[in-house]
Amino acid sequence: MISSYLTLAAVLFVIGLYGALSKKNAVIVLLCIELMLNAVNLNLIAFAKYGINPSLKGQIFSLFNITIAAAEAAVGIAILIALYRNKATANVTEMNSLKK
Amino acid sequence: MRLQLSDLVYLSPELTLVIAAVIISVLDLILPNKVNRTILGWLSIVSLMISTAFVIYYMRLLNLSEDPLAPVQLLNLSYRVDDFANLFKLIFLIGTIFILFMSIGSVKKEDIHHRGEYYYLFLPATLGAMIMASSGDLITLYVGLELLSITSYILVGIRKGNTKTNEAAFKYIVVGGIASAFILYGMSFLYGLSGSTNLTEINQALQVSDSSFELLIYVSFMLIVAGLGTKIAAAPFHTWAADVYQGAATPITAYLATVSKAAGFAMLFRLVYLVYYGVGGQDSSPVFIDLFMIILLVAAAAMIIGNVLALKQRKVKRLLAYSGVANAGYLLVPIGIGLHSQFPHSSNFSELYFYLIAYLFMNIGAFAVLMAIERTTGDGELKGFAGLYYRAPYTAFAVVILLLSLAGLPVTGGFIGKVFILLGALQVKAYWLAIVMILTSVISFYYYFSIIRQMFMRTNFEAGSNKLNLSVPIAITIWISTVVTIILGFFPNYVLSYINDIFTIGTDFFIR
Repeated sequence: MISSYLTLAAVLFVIGLYGALSKKNAVIVLLCIELMLNAVNLNLIAFAKYGINPSLKGQIFSLFNITIAAAEAAVGIAILIALYRNKATANVTEMNSLKK
Repeated sequence: MRLQLSDLVYLSPELTLVIAAVIISVLDLILPNKVNRTILGWLSIVSLMISTAFVIYYMRLLNLSEDPLAPVQLLNLSYRVDDFANLFKLIFLIGTIFILFMSIGSVKKEDIHHRGEYYYLFLPATLGAMIMASSGDLITLYVGLELLSITSYILVGIRKGNTKTNEAAFKYIVVGGIASAFILYGMSFLYGLSGSTNLTEINQALQVSDSSFELLIYVSFMLIVAGLGTKIAAAPFHTWAADVYQGAATPITAYLATVSKAAGFAMLFRLVYLVYYGVGGQDSSPVFIDLFMIILLVAAAAMIIGNVLALKQRKVKRLLAYSGVANAGYLLVPIGIGLHSQFPHSSNFSELYFYLIAYLFMNIGAFAVLMAIERTTGDGELKGFAGLYYRAPYTAFAVVILLLSLAGLPVTGGFIGKVFILLGALQVKAYWLAIVMILTSVISFYYYFSIIRQMFMRTNFEAGSNKLNLSVPIAITIWISTVVTIILGFFPNYVLSYINDIFTIGTDFFIR
């Protein structure tokens, strides 16, 4: 029972990681990070219900994660808006002004 | 186990920062526009100092010669006030005080529009670092980590009008978010293997867990090392560091390089020695020996990659970023060599802590010098140092001391710290690691000395850049850092014996 949940979480995590590393649109990159964090929540809740020692702590942990992920997404979008105002692009391949 | 009102006094260092952050942010809103916001910077420094005083008070209580206080555990064992936490809190607080102090008078209005925000955002960031150092539970650890990270994302991006800053902040939040997700994924496996989020309970559950779960232990550990390796900028997870350091304002860079990195080490030390230590039972080669090996490999990679990449940098900030990567490698060594029963070695913490102090001061000093150079020339190119000896001989002398310490030459704090780490590695017969450490240190001489060469050998600096633009706080910061670096080099035994007196891994970590 638990293995199917864990597999789903792992697949979501990897999809999120792939998207965060390869997508060109900055908004999608931020969304993919949310996907990774939500994969972890799924993992925690599966363990909380079907784990070796089922307990409520996993669900509480995932509540904390949801809150923190919301804060992180808000800051991410804010930074992206500031970037867009100055550069008028949300394309991560054009973010290459550093290094020089 | 409920939180009593009387327990709140043990949280006074943290509560001071919370209250100060609220008050100062409200003050920033109600003060009229014509009031200079530097006053908020001073208020932040004062609140950090009060918090430091509380930390020192509890350190004394925990170490009275007669009837010392036992380490305090609060909030259902999720928060602990012990010597380990207090020592790290001192590093965070003192580092933040210096960084705030040197930025007073250097934050320009056209650069950072909301100067009040710039000053008081350091408080929640440091609070997050303090929570990381003293938590005994995965949830508090993660909340502290994110409080520090999210606040530093904002601080990195605070020069809103600067395209480079925006880019650096975006890169930082993407990499930092991915790193957080990795740490969290590793933590979720720890929870799954034990059914608990308390670090001690997880350790007990892992020690007796079935060997069929070994794979999951490895997976969780590697995920956490990858995530935390990103936060402390150890190779091969270091690629964000140079770009973010370059784009951020210089004091913020100093914060990322010192306090934020030290917080990552506090968390890693706590996790490695409280959660993973002793995992795998009594076999001839228990699992945790492999796990320690992984840390040592990351350390070696960070030393090699950091020092080699620093060789070709032309911008001082990028050079210091890669030097920070290399230093993360040195600092990982005492964590990774572990406590072996066959070798008498138990001074891991004092090695780590001593080098962290030295690293803190030499880096803050170096970044303060860089601020002065940037004020003079407007950019952070290596050639900004050209002829510094002829322009500002005393500052040049301080820079030489700081660079000698960074390179690890006697008689400086960085040298002594490196020697202690090296001796620790030799004691547990990790010869290959000692060789990597010595060779990479030799490589590092080249790029540190290129700065010294600029200062003394180059005389063709541009006219008009003759005078070094040194503000009083920057000068004081440079000199305090230099003096502390020299003192650490001449009198290391006082510091070391003090750390050894108050920190013993047995009483601090393995209390049940």
